[in-house]
Amino acid sequence: MNEPNANRYFDLIKNGIFAENTIFKLALSLCPSIAVTNNLRNGVLMGMAVLFVQVMVNMTVSVLRHFIHPRIRLPVFMLIISGWVTVTDMTMAAFFREAYKEMGLYIQLIVAFASILARAEMFASKNKVTPSLFDGIGMGLGFLFALTIISFFRELLGKGSLWGYPIIDAKPLLIMILPAGGFFAVGLLMGFFNWIDMCYAKKDRSS
Amino acid sequence: MTGKDIIKITLNLVVIYLVGGIVLTAVFAWTSPIIYRNDLVEKEQALKQLMPEAETIEKLGDWTIHDKHAEYFIGKSGDMVIGYIVQSFGKGYSSYINTLVAVDRDFTVQSINILGHAETPGLGDEIEMESFTNQFSGKDREHLQLMKTETEDYIQAISGATISSRAVTEDAVKNGVDFLIKRIREGEEGERAEREQVF
Repeated sequence: MNEPNANRYFDLIKNGIFAENTIFKLALSLCPSIAVTNNLRNGVLMGMAVLFVQVMVNMTVSVLRHFIHPRIRLPVFMLIISGWVTVTDMTMAAFFREAYKEMGLYIQLIVAFASILARAEMFASKNKVTPSLFDGIGMGLGFLFALTIISFFRELLGKGSLWGYPIIDAKPLLIMILPAGGFFAVGLLMGFFNWIDMCYAKKDRSS
Repeated sequence: MTGKDIIKITLNLVVIYLVGGIVLTAVFAWTSPIIYRNDLVEKEQALKQLMPEAETIEKLGDWTIHDKHAEYFIGKSGDMVIGYIVQSFGKGYSSYINTLVAVDRDFTVQSINILGHAETPGLGDEIEMESFTNQFSGKDREHLQLMKTETEDYIQAISGATISSRAVTEDAVKNGVDFLIKRIREGEEGERAEREQVF
């Protein structure tokens, strides 16, 4: 009995990371993916904060899905999102001071993330709590994965370092850590992942 | 929309917003004293770090720069005045840069500390790095000048972040030192005048 369920949850997580990756496939929440990814550390921290908020919002929406009147679901979702973001913000300010100093500004930005609202609307409001939990984990991990890989390349090329440690001893491409470089990085990586998809599709067709 | 819908929607919103409000209030009541305490501790530590040789650091008064409230302090060891610390703001590229500047009795900068800013991550935020802030040690008022070329006598700008570097050097630190010089000298003259009046 358990196995098909476990498989389904695993599929949900995989779906969030690959097939419906927020940034590379759905092209949602592109603003933070450019704004905060000019070093690896910020990218990873932001990804983790989003992961947490996405999971909590998905679960709350799913618990309340029968209670919320369909006509007012969007304002209610917004309230749930901003509520969780504020809770995260205040708790981190109190207990994880060092990390909060780095990413305090970005945490408040999560309120405006299209990807979180989209998942609450498209998935959590129609599914039970456990699948919503795993969908949240999947989408959050997908976002974390995307931010990590974008910021990895931007910091490496733009500053010649990773996580603040110098790696390349040459004059870096300054443009990569400027907003313009963000567009290049996101665009090229998006293209790369779609190209992989196309290759797989071709293989499937020929076999 | 029927009357039933209206009642249900109203009830929905009232309950959800009420619960949300209560939850946020509870979290705020729980965390805000901790945040406040952390802020105080951090400020004390920042002051001590700037002037490790001082036994006591007392607040002297307040002043304003860029319409922002700032404070200044005196560092003493016993009765000896070791130096002064002034909080100052510089207008950067995308924010006001909150800076602490420690000077000795001759108003030569000993060290600075960037308390807060919102400069471009990855570029302007390098003003926090020691490679930049350490340059200020031993610079007097005349040498608080930004150079784009390599320099030992002046302050060298961070490449790609000239505006942020200039805001720290020529706005925050220089104005802070100027203010201290003016205010402390004024104070000393005031004291002397008072003493002369007594005699």
